[in-house]
Amino acid sequence: MQDTIITYLGTPIFGIFLSIVVFLIGQWLFKISHGFFLFQPLFVGMVLGIFVLWLMAKAFGVDVTWFYTNAYKPGGDIIFWFLNPATIAFAVPLYKRNDIVKRFWLEILLSLIIGVLISLFLIYWVAKLFGLDNSGIASMLPQAATTAVAMPISTAIGGNAAITAMACIVNAVLIYALGGWLIKVFHLKDEIGIGLGLGTAGHTVGSAKALQLGSIPGSMASISVVIISIVIDLVVPTFAHLMGVVK
Amino acid sequence: MAEKNDVSQKTEAKPAPILIQMGIFAAVLFISSLISPLFPVSFPVPTPVIGLVLLYLLLTLHIVKVEWVEQFANLMISLIAFLFVPSGIQLTASLNIMKAQGIQLVAVIVISTVILLVVVSLVTTFFIKIKKDVFHSNVDIDE
Repeated sequence: MQDTIITYLGTPIFGIFLSIVVFLIGQWLFKISHGFFLFQPLFVGMVLGIFVLWLMAKAFGVDVTWFYTNAYKPGGDIIFWFLNPATIAFAVPLYKRNDIVKRFWLEILLSLIIGVLISLFLIYWVAKLFGLDNSGIASMLPQAATTAVAMPISTAIGGNAAITAMACIVNAVLIYALGGWLIKVFHLKDEIGIGLGLGTAGHTVGSAKALQLGSIPGSMASISVVIISIVIDLVVPTFAHLMGVVK
Repeated sequence: MAEKNDVSQKTEAKPAPILIQMGIFAAVLFISSLISPLFPVSFPVPTPVIGLVLLYLLLTLHIVKVEWVEQFANLMISLIAFLFVPSGIQLTASLNIMKAQGIQLVAVIVISTVILLVVVSLVTTFFIKIKKDVFHSNVDIDE
């Protein structure tokens, strides 16, 4: 059975095809529901994709993780790779609002550093409150950085890189679906602040969300993706040691 | 130099052919991928983050003109939700973790997301207010 699956579904086209179909279904649902937030194309695509893979694995009688790795991942990885040029692309909206960067660079830098420090304390306490062990807490701390930064930092402070990756992904999906709503609920008004917040909490996907709100939030989210990566690199290992998360 | 800038503002700049734009992206990405391994393991700086800084510097220093990369950049950004679908589906591989530690982890992640958005945003509002009230700087922004 496993050989048959690899022969017919092991080529990249299955993963690419499935990704496109579930995303298009998401777009269609979003359209006919007049923008209902749970029908965000990314969210629908993700849930539907996981469900289809789970269903197919059950139908073929194989392990879900095995089926994901051997049937979906070859195609998924190709699409995933394009997040590299997509991240670089945010240099353009950032450059276009260079006026804001030049005038507010000090405020941007201070806000991101202080904002992340405060957030780290809060995340630490929330994680404690929910009874996570040290490994669980360590996995939660680096999540403001992009996956490529967060995962190695997580491992270095005794966390589980897979859980950290999961956190980064859930961050992005949540911010993309609920970002606009959260901004309203918490009465966030400052355009620079909204941009930095969306970029910190939602990474590259958060920056795309910020760009939909305007050129200033978009450029600010783009710059936060870069600065947060460096801040997390520098701050999280020290923070984890000070708080006794890692011995 | 000033004359040149005037001209570029008056006439609508023609975008570079899409293959040239992709070529610039590929070159930036390639150079970044050579720089990224130079950072120590304890201080990871991934290729796309270096690439973002590199392309931003090239644009700011006027080595690369914005019309040489803008079209492709807009295309990539408009596709980003789709490009993230495989990352979302990657959670299939985490289904076992979710079963084991389950709901607490997801709850902490959801709350953390809100914390990061709200705290960073409010801290920024605070610092901009200081700039305005303490240093009496102009904080009005042109749209």
